Amino acid sequence: MGTGVEASVDITELYAAHRLALVRLAVLLVDDLASAEDVVQDAFAALARRPEAVRDPSRALAYLRVSVVNTARSALRRRRTARAYAPPRDTGPPSPEESAVLAEEHREVIVALRRLAPRQREVLVLRYWSNLTEAEIAAALDISQGTVKSTASRALVALQKSLREIEGEEER
Amino acid sequence: MSTDDVMDLEDRLRAALAARAELVRPEDLGPVAPVVPLRPRWRSPWVLLATAAAVLLVLGVVLQGLAPDPRSDDVAPEPGPQVELPQDVGRDWQVRSDSSPAVLDLDGDGVDETVRFRAEETKDFDGRIRLETTLSTTGEDAYGVARLSTTIGTYARDPIDADGDGDQELVLPFDSMGGPGEPSYPMVFDLRDGLLVQAAVSDPELLLMGNTPVDGGRTPYYELVRSQTYWFEDGSLYSGRSVNAFAEGPNMTATRPASMVFDAWRWVLDAEGVLRPQDAGCVAETPRGAIRPCEPGARDALPVLGPEATEFFGPGEEFRWTEGYRYVARLEQQGEPTLVVQGGDGRTLEHPIDVADPRVMTTQPTRIFYDGASVVVRSATDPAVFQVLAQDGDALRELAPVGDVPLTTDASHRTWLTTDGALVTVVAEDDARWRAYFWAMVSSTEMVALPAGEVCFADVTDTSTARDC
Repeated sequence: MGTGVEASVDITELYAAHRLALVRLAVLLVDDLASAEDVVQDAFAALARRPEAVRDPSRALAYLRVSVVNTARSALRRRRTARAYAPPRDTGPPSPEESAVLAEEHREVIVALRRLAPRQREVLVLRYWSNLTEAEIAAALDISQGTVKSTASRALVALQKSLREIEGEEER
Repeated sequence: MSTDDVMDLEDRLRAALAARAELVRPEDLGPVAPVVPLRPRWRSPWVLLATAAAVLLVLGVVLQGLAPDPRSDDVAPEPGPQVELPQDVGRDWQVRSDSSPAVLDLDGDGVDETVRFRAEETKDFDGRIRLETTLSTTGEDAYGVARLSTTIGTYARDPIDADGDGDQELVLPFDSMGGPGEPSYPMVFDLRDGLLVQAAVSDPELLLMGNTPVDGGRTPYYELVRSQTYWFEDGSLYSGRSVNAFAEGPNMTATRPASMVFDAWRWVLDAEGVLRPQDAGCVAETPRGAIRPCEPGARDALPVLGPEATEFFGPGEEFRWTEGYRYVARLEQQGEPTLVVQGGDGRTLEHPIDVADPRVMTTQPTRIFYDGASVVVRSATDPAVFQVLAQDGDALRELAPVGDVPLTTDASHRTWLTTDGALVTVVAEDDARWRAYFWAMVSSTEMVALPAGEVCFADVTDTSTARDC
């Protein structure tokens, strides 16, 4: 006997089951919902190209997470290229949705997070939102565990520094 | 930073990430890709042009750069002694960092060529791809132009020798961007006179990957589809189409068996540059998803109908769901029974319960609705009664059964919730056979029973006794 409705091994079921969580992961990496949805759609399209991954749900989910991180990084790279004329520290204003709803203390952290290097941001999001272990992050980002540890450490220092700058800017 | 500083920052970061992520609510997401009929590929101008290219090849005419839309650098497929695309088309396009070059022996000398993919830059990443390589036998350049669904992440599938001439053909996947479930297909490029020319396909409806509609299989609420796939084995391209159909509903729901039996074909490239299918018999999926020749009596996997969920809570009690969308539900009985749901995002939802002596199942019907709260309510005194509620933004809504299958249990029907969140109804047929259905959401207020195959029971009240009929 099989394992039930195709849902457990079907990309359509993966889509139904994990789309929201993956969009939430993506929105932490690319900032706005529309881009996040595009990133996740692209990730599923990429998964559909690799049926061998589709047939193993556990591999497929890990594949999707990696794909979201990589696609989000590409999206940021494209966006930064398009905004090449802008000052490098200009991360854009927070979205109206975010300004209206996100508490000030959270908003400052999110703005500070946007000022980090993409790899630092990815490590922090995977560590503190996705709750992945260092080994899992290393596998997802194709880097060593040592690099994960050092990147996370430097990212926290940079985040703290950015937070102080933001608080200083707002006081002025 | 001190250890305390780090811990404070970590806590603050966790809280901010969670808060930002939870601003994205289920109802904020765009609609999922709908089920749409597949346009037969033979109607595609691209395939018609590719077929024309193959015919012209027979006449000693070479053309390429075919595209659905006319472009100034395309070559019109008009008869002529020798039609060639200007060599510089796409020469200045960039090789994207997310593309992977293909390595295969295009000229059959035992030395692999590396094919690079140069992407035409367009706003929507939908430009053409220049395929280019240097042939190891002659040192000359060979090239071609392809239009895939996107210029992002170009890569090749396994090379094949579809014409058995000792060299290899390049295979690129055309991935439909219509969303999961939209069929994709392989494009085969053969080296001819220094050009990489796409092979036409004689029966394109047999060379697809995805679910394709069955003629006459559309109902108001779902569509019957067959599963199609393609794969590579021993340097050959194979494709398969499931012998049986299954139901595909809206909102990305389907009742595809866990493994299916397929009719299979091996694809051979003939002298005219046309890929033609040869009957390859019957193949079946293994439980791990591999494709194998059929064993005697091979058939689709049975639908999994159990075990049945039996845990519930009653009036005055509550239950906390901790996986996926987190929420607590309690059944209040002051006057009219009311289900009160408190979501992990702070929302409180209420809905009256229209069931005598209600019992709320502690298994969430995730196969019906996952991105929010959902419950199945049964009656302690009337086994025929079911009520299904699902979250719709800031409200709980009852899902009304639509279609021909009643949501009930009686002499000819039996309905239950499985421990993996599927709501099942079986309908009695002749000779102790039962037709199984899985309930799926079709709108924010409706659900329908999708057919999932035939099954027999030694005892229909014991799901573990399900077997082939």
